Amino acid sequence: MPTDAPMIACEEAVARVYEYLDGELDAEWSERVRYHVEVCRKCYPYFNFERIFLDHVRSQHIAPEHSDRLERRIREALRNEDAASA
Amino acid sequence: MTEDRHKKAQFETEALVHLDALFGLALRLTGGDAARSEDLVQDAILKAYRAWDDFRLGTNCRAWLMTILRNTFINEFRSQQRRPSAVEFDEVADRSVFAEVAEEDPAGGFFERLIDDEVIAAIDDLPEEFRIPVVLSDLEGLSYQEVSEIMGIPVGTVKSRLFRARKRLQAKLHSFAREMGYVS
Repeated sequence: MPTDAPMIACEEAVARVYEYLDGELDAEWSERVRYHVEVCRKCYPYFNFERIFLDHVRSQHIAPEHSDRLERRIREALRNEDAASA
Repeated sequence: MTEDRHKKAQFETEALVHLDALFGLALRLTGGDAARSEDLVQDAILKAYRAWDDFRLGTNCRAWLMTILRNTFINEFRSQQRRPSAVEFDEVADRSVFAEVAEEDPAGGFFERLIDDEVIAAIDDLPEEFRIPVVLSDLEGLSYQEVSEIMGIPVGTVKSRLFRARKRLQAKLHSFAREMGYVS
């Protein structure tokens, strides 16, 4: 562990689980959490579970096909916009 | 007139090709409300068309359009948010799904068995105050700081909303997986 700070407690690591997995912790805290999780038998499976959950949510595709009706509506709105500004 | 036609042709080639992505984002922000999503996409497209002269070709048009759509939605969301938020008084226990599955399925294998539609339905079902940070952070990949600026709430609130939103989402997915027999 590169820092001289004592190892953090499980509660401190768990409270930061999402910030850690989201890459939102500063370098020092990120390292402290990483080290804790690496050596803690209780926290390692928990962090792994949360990571799998987040990966699954993030892999969702959010681009369904739009309808023809929407495209027609938008082209119509653009024509009206042109007519109004002419 | 020729210039107008050129502008329109350029807009159609550069911007209208992103309708699927815009509609997808609108659907998730509105919790699957197709009619509201169509209105939102149309509003965003019209704003983009009016500002097209200010858009620098060669920069990321999709990202620009997504920002306009997001801001349009958030402005509407903020004006609706004047009344006290249901979320602040919400006392739903954030039960730990991990504690329940730790013995049988510690690696969360049941998440993999859920199909995209089930996950999307669970996201759509979250209250708006929870759904927006999840959509912006997990589906759009924005940082806490960016979510905070967009939603007009402190970074600390983004953190706590994301935490509670994800716990709710997990609990919902777990219940669903149980109903489907993916986990006991």
